[in-house]
Amino acid sequence: MKEKKEDKNLRDLFRHKLDNIEITPGASAKTGLMRKLGRKEFLRFIPGRFNIYYLGGIVAATVAATAILIFSGSEDDKKSERSHVPPVDLMMEDFTDSMYVSEEKQIIQDSGISKTTEDISAESAVYDLEERSSENINIQSKQKNTIREKDYLSISDITGSISKSNLLIDTGADRNNLKSKLLKKEPLFEPSVTSGCTPLKIRFISNSGSSCSFHWSFGDGGYSNEKDPEWIFDISGEYKVTLNVLHSDGSKEISSAVITAYPKPVARFEMLPEDAVIPDDEIQFINYSTIAVKSKWEFGDGAASDLFEPRHKYEKSGNYTIRLIVYSEYGCADSIVLVNAFAGSGSFIDFPNAFIPNPGGPTGGYYSFTSDEAASIFHPVFSGVSDYQLRIFSKHGILIFESNDINMGWDGYFNGQLCEPGVYIWKVRGSFRNGEPFTKMGDLTLLKDSQ
Amino acid sequence: MLSDRQIIEGCAKHDRKAQQILYDKYSRFLLGVCLRYATDRAEAEDILQDSFLKIFFSIRDFSGTGSFIGWLRKVAVNTAITHYHKNLKYRYHIDIEDYVSAETGVSSFEEDFYTSDELYKILNELPAGYRMVFNLYAIEGYKHKEIAKLLGIDTNTSKSQYSRARAVIREKLEILRRLKSNYSDSK
Repeated sequence: MKEKKEDKNLRDLFRHKLDNIEITPGASAKTGLMRKLGRKEFLRFIPGRFNIYYLGGIVAATVAATAILIFSGSEDDKKSERSHVPPVDLMMEDFTDSMYVSEEKQIIQDSGISKTTEDISAESAVYDLEERSSENINIQSKQKNTIREKDYLSISDITGSISKSNLLIDTGADRNNLKSKLLKKEPLFEPSVTSGCTPLKIRFISNSGSSCSFHWSFGDGGYSNEKDPEWIFDISGEYKVTLNVLHSDGSKEISSAVITAYPKPVARFEMLPEDAVIPDDEIQFINYSTIAVKSKWEFGDGAASDLFEPRHKYEKSGNYTIRLIVYSEYGCADSIVLVNAFAGSGSFIDFPNAFIPNPGGPTGGYYSFTSDEAASIFHPVFSGVSDYQLRIFSKHGILIFESNDINMGWDGYFNGQLCEPGVYIWKVRGSFRNGEPFTKMGDLTLLKDSQ
Repeated sequence: MLSDRQIIEGCAKHDRKAQQILYDKYSRFLLGVCLRYATDRAEAEDILQDSFLKIFFSIRDFSGTGSFIGWLRKVAVNTAITHYHKNLKYRYHIDIEDYVSAETGVSSFEEDFYTSDELYKILNELPAGYRMVFNLYAIEGYKHKEIAKLLGIDTNTSKSQYSRARAVIREKLEILRRLKSNYSDSK
């Protein structure tokens, strides 16, 4: 009843104080939300709003139109004898690559296999830059073969393609210059590190003056408007951190960097057998660590191991502190320490609180766990005990039984006489095999056999 | 000033202006809800953003019969639960034993003695599992059976987590009380 009342008090406290509380969210929450909303709406079909489906429609229409143009264009090519650069080049960014394509197109068209050409140009328009360049290397080698196999190209053909390639290389060089100029531009900010282990804490230092306004996007959904924000990446992955700087004169600059947060391994292990007795048992270590490529074990007795799942035998009993450090392939580390690994494991001693002595006479006190079903001997249940001393006192403090042998309990007799039923005090001292000492005391009731 | 009905109709049409008005009107209230389920302000704002996304995209489902603010709150609570599930594997699990402590002898806590900020802080510091159960049971008023279903845990787990959460909270309230009264004494 009291607990119920207390519970209600606690609930009321939180309900009354926290319900309908209003907290003003930061401005970044709203801008972030609107950005996410825009993105999400873009990905859904909502009539009356520009979205991916409309975009898809436009792209599909454009592609269809382009395909028709290319197709009719190549038809024209055949008719007008390889006189113009194929339109596919307009879509290429890397001109050294496209050179081969155009050459090939030229040559293959010469050999009259116009269908393949179309396939290749259509494909290469779709591929990304990287894929395309590897593709083109293949095409290049293929094309060389073509030339070797077909040694019969007329000289005018070759000069034609060479002059064209020169033209293209020039244009390509211009474009490359332009590109490198763009790339040479100073980045707007400097991260303290660009990669590391999670949780990865990075400070971003912007190079712009403080009069500008800053909009950071950390690539994991986080935003900031600070000048030099600090951000922690908790989850591994690659994040594109973008900084938008709005200068006081209204001009904008944008710059981004990629941050790689490597996953952190988790060190976990278990030992077998579970209730190991030291030093008797050899310990098998089971490694449950995640994404670990390297493990370092310290067994606490000076020994160490680099194995993933080592075995170890301790020379003497004691309390050992076991340490496991694991490293991921990126060098991220985690460790786990097990202090007093074998404290109490597998070692215990407990006594019953009553027994019924055999009324027929002293039995000597020796027992076994199978024969003592009638509980006529007072003795402990135990494991891993090395030293042992049991003493039993009467209520008046007289020592009536003493044993240094754990296999000998008390049979309930003192000087050949069966003791009175009642309460007696027992006290035990000793140590376990792992070196840990124990002292226990308690009372026991001597019961009379009712038969 | 637009009425709730007009705002809802505008949002259903994805009218950006109506969405902004809805946000400006209710974000403070909903952040108050979200903060109870989060470890910090940043996480609360994350939950708030996700809640609003959900609200904007499912506002057509709002029947218009019940209380609108109640519906908003429910969406926020459900988002917090989703968030909890999503983040579960990244959280540091705090061993329950660390938190088991004797119940304090104090039987009641004065409402006026604590500020909302302090209570928020206590909730924020709770282990995530405790926080969910405590919020849902004590403040939202769900039954343990419902909580078990929402969180995908056993009913008994919900009950025991609640009672542990309560023990931790009581202890923290008590510590806070001692601190505060010492402070006012020394003044």
